[in-house]
Amino acid sequence: MKRIWKHPEEPQNAKRYWRSVAELDRREDFLKNLGREFPEGDTLTEDERENSRREFLKIMGASVGMMGLASCRRPLTNILPYTQHVEWMVPGKSLLYATTMPRSSGATPLVVTTHEGRPTHVSGNPLHPLGGGIDTFAQASVLDLYDPERSQKPLGAGKELSWAKANELIAAAVAQAKKSSGGSLGIVAGATTSPTYLRLLGELKTAYPQVKLFQYEAVGGEGQTAANKEVFGAGVKPFVKLGSAMRILSLDCDFLGVDPVAGEPISAFTKHRAKEAKTADMNRLYVLENRYTLTGGMADHRKPIPASLIPVAAALIASELGDASAKALADTAPAGLKEWIAPAVRDLIDNKGKAVVLAGSRYGAEVHALVASINNALGAFGSTIELLQGTQAPEMGGFAELHAAVSGGQIKTLVSLTPSSLYHDAPDAQAFAKLITEKGVKLIHVGMLKNKTARHAALHIPAAHYLESWGDASAADGTYSIVQPMIAPLYDGASKIEVLLALLGRKKLGPVEAAAPAAPAAAGAAPAAPAEDAAYTAVRDTFASVAGSLDEKKWNFTLRDGFLKGSSFAKASAAPNVAAVAGIVAKAKPAAAPTDDSLEVVLTVDSSVYDGRYTNNAWLQEAPDPVTKLTWDNAAWIGSVTFRRLGLKDGQHVKISVDGVEIEIPAIEAPGHVSNSITLPLGYGQKGVGVVGSGRGVDAYVLRKQPGMFVLSGAKVEVLPTVAELAITQDQNTTEGRAVFREGTLDTFNKDEHFAQKIGMDGHIPENISFYKGQVGVKSKENPDGFDYAKHHQWGMTIDLSKCIGCTACIVACQSENNIPVVGKDQVRKGRVMQWIRMDRYFAVPKWGKNEVAQESTYAVDNPTPEQLENAEMVHQPMACQQCEAAPCETVCPVNATVHTDDGLNAMAYNRCIGTRYCANNCPYTARRFNWFDYNKRNPLIETKVAGITMNNLYAGPLGEKKEDESLRLQRNPNVTVRMRGVIEKCTYCVQRIESAKILQKQVQRDSKNFRVPTDTIKTACQQSCPADAIVFGDLADKKSAVVKSKASPRDYQVLKYIGTRPRTSYLARLRNPNPKMPGAENIAVWSKNQF
Amino acid sequence: MGNFFPRWTNWLPLKLAIAVVFIAFGVSVGVAYYFTPKYTRVGYEPTQPVPFSHKIHAGQLGLDCRYCHSFVENSSHSNVPTNQTCFNCHGPGKGNIRSNSPKLAMVVKANETGSSIPWVKVHKAPDYVYFNHSAHLNRGISCVSCHGKINEMEVVRHDQPQSMGWCLDCHRNPEKNLRPLEFVTNLNYKAGDLTRADFYKGLLDKKIPAGEIAKTIGGEGSKADNLDQLLALAEKTYGKQVTQTEVGTQIKKHWQIQPPENCTACHR
Repeated sequence: MKRIWKHPEEPQNAKRYWRSVAELDRREDFLKNLGREFPEGDTLTEDERENSRREFLKIMGASVGMMGLASCRRPLTNILPYTQHVEWMVPGKSLLYATTMPRSSGATPLVVTTHEGRPTHVSGNPLHPLGGGIDTFAQASVLDLYDPERSQKPLGAGKELSWAKANELIAAAVAQAKKSSGGSLGIVAGATTSPTYLRLLGELKTAYPQVKLFQYEAVGGEGQTAANKEVFGAGVKPFVKLGSAMRILSLDCDFLGVDPVAGEPISAFTKHRAKEAKTADMNRLYVLENRYTLTGGMADHRKPIPASLIPVAAALIASELGDASAKALADTAPAGLKEWIAPAVRDLIDNKGKAVVLAGSRYGAEVHALVASINNALGAFGSTIELLQGTQAPEMGGFAELHAAVSGGQIKTLVSLTPSSLYHDAPDAQAFAKLITEKGVKLIHVGMLKNKTARHAALHIPAAHYLESWGDASAADGTYSIVQPMIAPLYDGASKIEVLLALLGRKKLGPVEAAAPAAPAAAGAAPAAPAEDAAYTAVRDTFASVAGSLDEKKWNFTLRDGFLKGSSFAKASAAPNVAAVAGIVAKAKPAAAPTDDSLEVVLTVDSSVYDGRYTNNAWLQEAPDPVTKLTWDNAAWIGSVTFRRLGLKDGQHVKISVDGVEIEIPAIEAPGHVSNSITLPLGYGQKGVGVVGSGRGVDAYVLRKQPGMFVLSGAKVEVLPTVAELAITQDQNTTEGRAVFREGTLDTFNKDEHFAQKIGMDGHIPENISFYKGQVGVKSKENPDGFDYAKHHQWGMTIDLSKCIGCTACIVACQSENNIPVVGKDQVRKGRVMQWIRMDRYFAVPKWGKNEVAQESTYAVDNPTPEQLENAEMVHQPMACQQCEAAPCETVCPVNATVHTDDGLNAMAYNRCIGTRYCANNCPYTARRFNWFDYNKRNPLIETKVAGITMNNLYAGPLGEKKEDESLRLQRNPNVTVRMRGVIEKCTYCVQRIESAKILQKQVQRDSKNFRVPTDTIKTACQQSCPADAIVFGDLADKKSAVVKSKASPRDYQVLKYIGTRPRTSYLARLRNPNPKMPGAENIAVWSKNQF
Repeated sequence: MGNFFPRWTNWLPLKLAIAVVFIAFGVSVGVAYYFTPKYTRVGYEPTQPVPFSHKIHAGQLGLDCRYCHSFVENSSHSNVPTNQTCFNCHGPGKGNIRSNSPKLAMVVKANETGSSIPWVKVHKAPDYVYFNHSAHLNRGISCVSCHGKINEMEVVRHDQPQSMGWCLDCHRNPEKNLRPLEFVTNLNYKAGDLTRADFYKGLLDKKIPAGEIAKTIGGEGSKADNLDQLLALAEKTYGKQVTQTEVGTQIKKHWQIQPPENCTACHR
């Protein structure tokens, strides 16, 4: 008899987690694909099927005929050994180097995996004082190195130049600068913490006293810098100790996402989010913001307020804490805000010395001044914020000064070293570009992308990637961190340090002149030492001044560790000058809240392209936005109230006009977004940067007329009839709305720490109900789990939902480690995204309270109101293959391509898979991916012309371009098969790492019998990348391992436990710590009103 | 109605059926033999750009395999040596052995130009197979088990099928190929050449109880307390000469050799 499995009914009155408004409304397009593992459109109509069958037979006939000819010969392959042995190089083994990714926000300490000299994967440097996990941008940066469309040749007004010519032009500019002692030379640097870079800028100033230095970042925090300088003093750097802060209030500061604060890493914050025992303390996060950010998602209390009101909120908090200067501004606060802020501030005061208030870096000086005053009143300085005395940077002007200097006509040569693209992202960029041309300024641009600035500059110099060049950076606490090259520049690019050295006349840019052919190693003498690299020398000089002397031993240790031990900044001596706050605040103009006719537009940093600099990175483009799940595009985020008032459909175009500038952009409904506010992610809409980034999204920079302006008011919205085709992954790979996410409050936990294990049916599941019989997991008396724990490792994983911030770094890490292809926007729309781990994002609205539903109500009719959607909660849940012990996928594979291993992995033999996709259809976690096309060989991002018809390259079949890009191939991990068309793939717990660890153990043990890999030595790529330390992986058979401890947590639960798949990955339920005195606290994270 | 078909056609279907059976059998046998690595790979003996003779170097001169393939115990890949390795003996100013030989011309030239010698690959695992040399060499599998007697080959020849079935044969019964670690690169090794006393003393030195060793020799009932008793037991069981089964079984048992048969062991 056929047994039809029915999932248990969800209890009435339970909170429902949903991914999109379409799901909530049970819209038809959502329901259509709900039960389908592979959405409609992948299948063909009856006619098409018949035609394609004939085509297939025809082609097959021809191929069979040719097969005989093709297979006669054995392809000749060569082994090309090194002629001279390379130090440390063992062919077949990876080699790790510690280095640092220098960024505008500081230093990201890294360990880079190289294979035969090719960097293939980056991960955080665990030795570094601020090391650990890394974010998405750092994780994806290795792909930029191999970007085939990177700038490779110097350009002069868009035309290729030789390096000799480029050097000539630089020399001419230097000669001209010398005449005016630098007066005609301007240099635009990006925000940097590199001591060598800053030192060279200083030397430039000494060499040419009149040289003008500017700092420009498209999304820099000018207000913050100005306020900090006035309140804390020049060179003083506040260092936020997230690990000491038990109460944090964020004023639109996405410190867990794209607006990091200088301070302890995110893991220090998440450490206090997990709780295994009732006695442990937990931190509490309050967030005020206009849209959902990752930080907002982690908040215990969050209130969506317009960004224009953030200064008012800051003033309100300050005046609650007794700052009289804030009174005037605070009085303009709208109703409701004070009721929310007052109990929060009370809580902060109660935790004096353990509390901190953070503000978004792009708010004005008044907000940051107020926050300094607030933190001072909360006793944060010295406890949760350390003031460090940083190195003195040379005096640099901002964009306003740059604009003035250019229009004043003093500057003849402008060198742009900033990673931002002046012609694209500068305030009123078009006018600025015109001004530069009009004034006859020669723009020398240094960058990795052929972006607008590069193409129009008088001279463009291809920049070297940080993995190709020498450099350094100071971490947030000042630790001197080294940037060391591990591959020679692929395209002879020059690092910014080298460009400065060229301006100082100490270096020629471009390829190193071919050294004289090495004398035949007749005498066997050591080859002549290569001429000392100027950048290397410069970095070593800086090192000598930081370390006190050029101690070779210390230098070598620094290279090995990636940083110089004990080189952090000293504490600043002066106390913050709170008296200065009043002066700054007095200058602030009170802003009015947006209204229905006059909306506000908030320009934000994008989680995929940052300010636009990562636009040509395909991994980042395809990594879904953590909040909207949008890939390959940007869109206007509009809150439900406004969205519905305007009568919009998802993806419908709107025309947004601010001060006479108009842009047309698709709109999406964003739950949790405040009304009358529109969020526009920046950095999109660039042209000519390459097939990945060109023409993606809409440029929102055009709306910005003033530097430092990110909140624009008085916007008008006009609804357009067209609807854009956006690639949003939120409704793909669903678990059909089954209750997979569990959370509770601290209170729930304290009442019953095992609450998560009792939600739903879990408390009532009988023993051994498994529907699927495991293949090796046969239970016996000696072997109660069905696996041999004595003889084999048993791998398992936990994911702590309390710690997971939802940043998607794991997705990119997995992509980099496991050779996962990018499929392009068109394929993403069809639900064919290949990422092995996905970040499920759910919203939730409680079903009780004012809108309490009757018992007999169904899903379809208890829709929350738009106002409730505005206050929706947001949670994240990473989901990959759960490595079920009794795996449903294995039993349906007709060819045994997916089977279980003795150590509990659900193995996938790609070469055996015939692509029936039965396994994917039978996976309750929808964790399997199918290669619909040969994504690795056939570039899915380009168009091909076949018989006059332009089509996506994938669909051109054998007529399409079939070539793997040589440079992208270099990035591949040689230890993982590159999959071809027609096979299923999925997470394997990084089996290549497991196997190499097991083999290494054999190498070490040789003829002894201890084959067990030492405790916790294997880390999966996702675990390694996780900045929140949310993922724990290890051997369940090793009682000392972290994963065994983690699985012992009372919060541990298995997703869909009742189907009896016995997953090896389990989750730790999320905890939230609401303040009972806050409005609406009773609804937060309560799973069901009558919980058990 | 006349007979359209002559009488002999009555048997035609049967004859045809029999013929088809024979042909099918023949094709199957043919495919099984000619289309499998046993035939397609074994015996492949490409001409190498440099006429390097393993017979002279590894055979006559007795160079250890690891002198040139230096990382074979540490890496998945058995490296092909750099010119520097060749020049340790042949290099002018070093060993200077036959440094003017025309056979070495390509090596000398490669050293000057820095371009690699394009050695022709003999043993090639498919891309989805992850074979690891170090895992085998460190656990008592000799080079000879997979590559044959390289020390007797003038030009390297593909000696074993190296097919999946062939791999699994050994993974299921590793005792046929296991040997003490010191003989891993000794391509002439035969278990019979071992001194039994030394072998068992080696095991006892590893702190393996004599009783355990005895059980491995003669089954659960066997007992031994010291070396002499072990030797007596072994002689009774295996005869005067040390046998491969004897060595292999002991090593498999006491080094905990569990060759993986999981897909993930080789396919990732």
